[in-house]
Amino acid sequence: MSDGDGRDSLKFLGERENQQWKRKKKKLGADEFAQAIARIAVAQVCEGLGFQSFHQSALDSLADVGVRYIREIGKTACSYANLANRSQCNVFDVIQGLEDLGSIQGFSGASDVSHSLSGSGVVKDLIRYVGQAEEIPFAYLTPVFPVVKQRTLDPSFAQAGESPPDEHIPSWLPKFPEPETYATLSLRNEKDLETEVVNKTQLVEEQHRKVERPLLNFQQKLICNGSEAGVVVEQGDAAKAQRAAESNPFLAPPLQYGEKEVALPVLPPKLLDDPADYHNSCVVTDTNLLTLEPSLRPRETERSAPCEPEDRRNILLNGRPSLQFKFGNGKKSLRMVTSPRNESIEKVSLWFGDDHDGKDKTNRKAEKILWENTEYPPEVSHL
Amino acid sequence: MNGQTSHQQSKDGRHDDDAALTEFLASLMDYTPTIPDELVEHYLAKSGFQCPDIRLTRLVAVATQKFIADVATDALQQCKARQSAVVKDKRDKQQKDKRLILTMDDLSKALREYGVNVKHQEYFADCPSAGLDSASREE
Repeated sequence: MSDGDGRDSLKFLGERENQQWKRKKKKLGADEFAQAIARIAVAQVCEGLGFQSFHQSALDSLADVGVRYIREIGKTACSYANLANRSQCNVFDVIQGLEDLGSIQGFSGASDVSHSLSGSGVVKDLIRYVGQAEEIPFAYLTPVFPVVKQRTLDPSFAQAGESPPDEHIPSWLPKFPEPETYATLSLRNEKDLETEVVNKTQLVEEQHRKVERPLLNFQQKLICNGSEAGVVVEQGDAAKAQRAAESNPFLAPPLQYGEKEVALPVLPPKLLDDPADYHNSCVVTDTNLLTLEPSLRPRETERSAPCEPEDRRNILLNGRPSLQFKFGNGKKSLRMVTSPRNESIEKVSLWFGDDHDGKDKTNRKAEKILWENTEYPPEVSHL
Repeated sequence: MNGQTSHQQSKDGRHDDDAALTEFLASLMDYTPTIPDELVEHYLAKSGFQCPDIRLTRLVAVATQKFIADVATDALQQCKARQSAVVKDKRDKQQKDKRLILTMDDLSKALREYGVNVKHQEYFADCPSAGLDSASREE
């Protein structure tokens, strides 16, 4: 809007104005409707006084000022009512508010401190104005706004006649939603189930899948390492939590020493004398497969050290064990968990795909020859 | 004696004032302010004003209408004063500028009397020709 020039404003929509108008249109605040009505009302008042046209910005400003005036009257009237220990305003509060606002312009009798409010100058001015001004009704029929939607609240436990599942939930709180509404997963493969079961923290979610539950229990029994067996969990049951606690291995009592065989940590080769102790330890957590593979390319003397199938892959620069994270699709992870350590190593090798026993030895020899003379054999990444 | 009579007179005066106010509020129901009731109620509710009496909303509406009318009248006078000052030379301009336009300039001058400071940018410099039109106009 080019408001420096009156003629430009009279054009309906110039190019620039069109763009600006479009930009303006996008920013619709919450009060747009009320402001639009205020603009119309103010325009009508101005028209009644003799204005023939207006600048858009001038009209907006005047409408905004009018709205602020209304709000200011409301605020001052409310504060006067509160001052008099009332919550509802009456006419004298409004008159006092008007006096406050009119004190800038001044009204007759303003200096008279003890004048009665009903005989106040503002009231007289208003009476005079109403008598003089011609009545211009508003151009449109305005609905009552803002429209208040009737909200249907969720029923509480008490209203629905249900008892809350746990003691700590009071009955006046809204009900829990139906399990069907948030159990989004449909029938899935068995293999997918197995991987999820490995994650113990997902137990509670699993409970809500009616179809997979018996399968779930069976798998849980298979997989839990000697600890508490799988759980049969009922839905919507208050005892569910207890049973979940029973099945949750994190809440189980700790194992005694020697009850379960735990793999020893793999030390880096520098600390170990015997190269035959090199082995790969696989640690399975959830669906991740973390392989700790120590440096297996001894540069000093043990060239003939027996290399595990994965050794040739771990060519390190400075002798630190390399960490290789395998984020698998979990289809093979079950075997990782259940099989003993040696088997798991072989499974890992199979996973890498290109390691067949026949090729191993030839490859190893070739790489040995290649990297015999180099100090810093290149690091091979296999992922 | 004098004090008593004046006191009585003031009492009567107060009764008159009260009567006048009551009458005024009653007459408000006949008079429809230009600003619609719903708008006034919306903004009064926003500012915490609580009153179920519709006469008070009408009172506030009339007061606001009066305020805006006063401001607009002052702006109109400014506009007319400017036009009478500008018109010296040609009659063509005179006929063209008969149109009374509510401009930001006049409005800001009028509002300043009421304690509202509205400053408006001269032009928006978003293209090379911005501001040139007004400069050429003020010859």
